[in-house]
Amino acid sequence: MRPPDALVLRAGRLSLALPKRGTLVAIGIAVLLAAAIVASVAVGNGRTVGWRAVEALFGGENPFARRTVHTYRLPRALAGAVAGAALGLAGCLTQTLARNRLATPDLAGVNDGATVGVLVTVLGSTTATIGAWWAGPLGAIAAAALVVLIAGGMGPTGYRVLVVGLALSVTIDAVTELVLARQPIDVARGVWGWTIGSLNARGYDVAVPVGLGLAVLVPLALLASRRLNVLRYGDETATGLGVHPGRWRLYALTIAVLLAGLAVGVGGPIAFTAMAAPVLAARLAGNIRVPVLASALTGALLVVCADTLGRAFGPVEVPVGVLAGLLGGPFLLWVLLSGKD
Amino acid sequence: MQLLVEGLSAAHGPRRVLSEVDLTASPGTVTAIVGPNGCGKSTLLRCAARLHRPDAGRVTLGGTDIRRRTPRALARDLALLPQQPTAPEAITVRGLVAHGRHPHQGLFRQWSREDEDAAREALEAAGVADLADRRLDRLSGGQRQRCWLAMILAQATPVVLLDEPTSALDLGHQVEVLSLIRRIAAGRNATVVMVVHDLSAAARYADRLVAMADGRVLADGVPRAVLTGELVKRLYGIEADVLSAPGDGASVIVPRQDPGTDTSSTVNKPTR
Repeated sequence: MRPPDALVLRAGRLSLALPKRGTLVAIGIAVLLAAAIVASVAVGNGRTVGWRAVEALFGGENPFARRTVHTYRLPRALAGAVAGAALGLAGCLTQTLARNRLATPDLAGVNDGATVGVLVTVLGSTTATIGAWWAGPLGAIAAAALVVLIAGGMGPTGYRVLVVGLALSVTIDAVTELVLARQPIDVARGVWGWTIGSLNARGYDVAVPVGLGLAVLVPLALLASRRLNVLRYGDETATGLGVHPGRWRLYALTIAVLLAGLAVGVGGPIAFTAMAAPVLAARLAGNIRVPVLASALTGALLVVCADTLGRAFGPVEVPVGVLAGLLGGPFLLWVLLSGKD
Repeated sequence: MQLLVEGLSAAHGPRRVLSEVDLTASPGTVTAIVGPNGCGKSTLLRCAARLHRPDAGRVTLGGTDIRRRTPRALARDLALLPQQPTAPEAITVRGLVAHGRHPHQGLFRQWSREDEDAAREALEAAGVADLADRRLDRLSGGQRQRCWLAMILAQATPVVLLDEPTSALDLGHQVEVLSLIRRIAAGRNATVVMVVHDLSAAARYADRLVAMADGRVLADGVPRAVLTGELVKRLYGIEADVLSAPGDGASVIVPRQDPGTDTSSTVNKPTR
């Protein structure tokens, strides 16, 4: 008997069971993501738009267009892709751990913790208008630790953690608002866009370190994916199959918190991506395995598209967080109302 | 492989649920643990599967303490079917049974020939080979339980623990599942320990009966020798006759009607 949807390769004592549909879907989304990044580069203010921008991207001669594309647009698109991938994977992990499609890092208070962390670095500095990316993961870890502490441990389904996280995130959110309200209006306005999720003025300075973080965390998540598949059966069956639930839940949750923190460090608490990406990825790649890679790619695709859309209409850009919310609200309804397929 | 429980005591919070329980389960036999609700039988099973940490005593498998083995190594020797197992959304029978091979797999041993053979044999032994590509959540209760047993079979462990494997099934499916459990013990020389509610089912399908009440073992032995009206009264506080089934001589428990709650007599008798 073969496992479902698997291409089995064997050589001597070694054997691999590669997901067929999952791999095809991942490749497909990666192609779409590349196309979305090119489209994102081609959208913006000024004259470097459309074909002119695409030409500059692939080595056109016009120095002004090249500068616009390579200094601003492409770094921003890549920063969006990195933030989206981190959110998508973080959501995939938390949804799998809680066995609930609504369980995202946002609900566990992690995003709000990261937001406060980054906000502190902005307001603590006299010159900075955008926060330091590294404060994101620190804030996220602090919030997660606080949530787990108050909840009194992880609990078997993570339900308690979610409830405590929900309460705490409302509180932290209020703190953010309070801090903003006490700032001069111009400072507050500059930071406000970021607290609802924005990629404005983001570039390689954040995309590179956070991309390196992803380069470590994504393989770590992939290494745990076989155990994540088994954790979906609940603690008793997972234990029976030789997977220590507490140990692997902590492992996966730590990765999820770090990813969510990194994402917030890049683009602020962009809404809905962490919830929508894994659900979409599972619809595309099937339910046989936890869609680790597909969730990351889908998250990247969603954020790049939302950011592009936010810059496509008119001179005033709409923050990516607002657009993600606009698109995510109906999506949430769809997830809640559509029956299990 | 022998499963040995020695002097096991356990508690749920402040409440003591097991007091110095001893149990030996041997290869090729089915041991049934029976007793009233809350008597500690499930906790005993959970301690043996390392789902509950005992306060005292130990559980050994083939001579080694289960606490001294890694989760994966233990899962290669001991399989567990929880009372109400949950499966991932939309999983197929094939996917379920394939996951039974998890403790035998690794990063570069994802689906060996051994995995392939064990999973196929499990599907066939449980009689669910024709259901392989059906979704688990769309099967009937009896079919689903056989699929879970197929997963346990695929795990190919010398010891199998089952927590109320027939509790949600109708009579026909109960017999089907219990016969399958017997075949696992006999055909694979496995050590099977199950918690069951139905005394008659336990008497017919188990080689050994362990009766528990208040966290202690009251009786332990061959069902026909152990199962008496007296034991039933001590376990459940009811009067019952223990008869011998006309077909195979297995013990059958028939509770006596309590005159006080006998509805038929009150209907028939005119009011005084």
